[in-house]
Amino acid sequence: MSAVAGMTRAEAERAGARNVRRRRWRVVLRHAALIAWVAVIMFPIYWMIATSFKEKHEWVAWPPHWIPHDPTIKNYSQIFAFDVQESGVAREATEQPFNVWGPLVDSLLICTLSALVALLLGTFLAYSISRFNVGGRHFRHAILMIRMVPPIVIAIPLLMYYAIMIPLATETVLGTRILLFDTRLGVSAIYIATTLPFVIWMMLTFIEEVPYTLEHAARMMGAGRMYTLRRVVLPLVASGMVVTFLFVFILNWAEFLLALTLTHPDVVTLPVLLNKFQSASEGRLFGPQAAIGTLITIPVVILGVLIQKHLIKGFSFGTIRK
Amino acid sequence: MAQIVLKEVVKRFGPHVAVKGVNLQVRDGEFLIMVGPSGCGKTTTLNMISGLERPTSGEIVIGGQMVNDLEPGERGLGMVFQDLALFPHLTVYENIAFGLRVKKVPEAELDRRVRAAAEAMHIAPLLAKRPAQCSGGESQRVALARTIVTNPSVFLMDEPLSSLDAKLRVDMRTELKRLHERLKSTFVYVTHDQAEAMTMADRIVVMSRGVVEQIGGPLDIYRKPATQFVAGFFGTPTMNFLSGEIEARDGGLAFASQSLREPLGDALPADLAGRRIVLGVRSEHVEVGRGKTPGRVQLIEPLGNESLVFFEFGGDAPLVAKVDAETRLRPGDNLTFGFNPAGYHVFDAQSGARLN
Repeated sequence: MSAVAGMTRAEAERAGARNVRRRRWRVVLRHAALIAWVAVIMFPIYWMIATSFKEKHEWVAWPPHWIPHDPTIKNYSQIFAFDVQESGVAREATEQPFNVWGPLVDSLLICTLSALVALLLGTFLAYSISRFNVGGRHFRHAILMIRMVPPIVIAIPLLMYYAIMIPLATETVLGTRILLFDTRLGVSAIYIATTLPFVIWMMLTFIEEVPYTLEHAARMMGAGRMYTLRRVVLPLVASGMVVTFLFVFILNWAEFLLALTLTHPDVVTLPVLLNKFQSASEGRLFGPQAAIGTLITIPVVILGVLIQKHLIKGFSFGTIRK
Repeated sequence: MAQIVLKEVVKRFGPHVAVKGVNLQVRDGEFLIMVGPSGCGKTTTLNMISGLERPTSGEIVIGGQMVNDLEPGERGLGMVFQDLALFPHLTVYENIAFGLRVKKVPEAELDRRVRAAAEAMHIAPLLAKRPAQCSGGESQRVALARTIVTNPSVFLMDEPLSSLDAKLRVDMRTELKRLHERLKSTFVYVTHDQAEAMTMADRIVVMSRGVVEQIGGPLDIYRKPATQFVAGFFGTPTMNFLSGEIEARDGGLAFASQSLREPLGDALPADLAGRRIVLGVRSEHVEVGRGKTPGRVQLIEPLGNESLVFFEFGGDAPLVAKVDAETRLRPGDNLTFGFNPAGYHVFDAQSGARLN
């Protein structure tokens, strides 16, 4: 018997086929829409990579050159050049040679250091908020509220402190001037402060997954708080810590406004460097800029893929029986 | 050596009083089971013995030493948790070794003791596995091995069998009892399952709403429940309760409700006449076909060797009687019944305290 009374087998098959066809159409439409959206999202990235391989005259050619007509690695040789004068790729109109090495080291040091410190502090803070209810019931939400302040609002006041107040205060009190303005330490410090809420928030979700009874069991066997943390809690949230570290690293890696405000001329992070490839006499140097942009993007993509892998692992340790 | 004494122990959580002044002596080598419905304070009491909770007031003495201010690890106890609390990232071997590593036991001795404990719990082949790869029963044994490896003088167990299926639970009961026989340590065991308490305990502590209702051997508690709560908590099916009052009649006392008049024998003091009471009778003391009171069968539940008959007789609630499996009764049938006076439990209607 077919499902609908009075319908012959052939009719039922035709209806089934119609259904299949309709479903296939829906799939095609959905994918078409998604592909179109991906194209919109990915086009600027493609354009950046393409531009990084273009000669100067192609950067702003009209009509646009969709693919580089004479591909070149000149832009890359310029940003990676050690001795700019010698390699003959120095910028024509200015005396200021730019390469990527100094800023790359600055960015790597600052981002790694600040993400590590923020991770360490944030993990322990999250643990104490989760287990001892530090700060009371609404503290965890209050922490996130800090992130609602736009960085531009604090950038200038921070500059005052970095450039004047802190050196003055330390000189008066300690006798030696501590400089935060235009130092790696200063940039790291503000990055730690701004990313700590994220770290706490993320680590809270991982730590709350660890059942209390595991810690109780360890305590019953005579383990102290630090031993329990080291042997039980931290191993269980390790993949969460990796995810958090990478997330925070990427945030800092791409940060521009605070780095721009709080440095000059010694410390230069990659996003700030990007902004320096322009001048009154020669305009924007789109080629080298695109090369740097591509360079900055590569670790973000790699870390993004890593995070994805770890996120799946991070949320799958539900091995305790409930 | 490992006697545990609780003196007037109180635990408050904010305005809520979870444990209201518990006095208890756990004898050395005893299998003591604390039983009661959820929220009765039994787990909180256990946690105060273990040190995971601090009592608000009162004293806890283990082996002659006041332990109120001692860390859990310093009390020489072993504990098995309801969810077992095996460390998911460590192998079975490392799980068992954890307590020994904390105490910095030398590697050779550690290895010997871990293997001995695994051997004793029949889990030697599992040592390299992770807890997630073990079955429910195996995890249970791992948790026990992890506890026995440190040779505690007292074992605390918080509903350790509640996550097992019915068949395995019954097997593990026997195994736990055997373990107790072998180790001769003190066991303090918490459960909400009265059958578990009856089958394993040397003595049972019945708790309700933060107070101890009764302490006694399993049979004492079954035969002479101290309060109506205890009477209702133990035994399947639940004891029949009839509300009524005591009348003086023919020189003796009798129970009277709307539909029943039953002489109570001479077990009660004569000055109870006129008191509102609850009469408790277990199903095995309801005798179908003996007495004169009529009733009508509602439901039959065959158990195999015997059957339960639920019947109404004009009272507030139907009665249940245990009858021989061969008794031919069907829903709707009429019957007559009476009570065996030896099985009367008389409780005060207000306080619930036993009167006979």
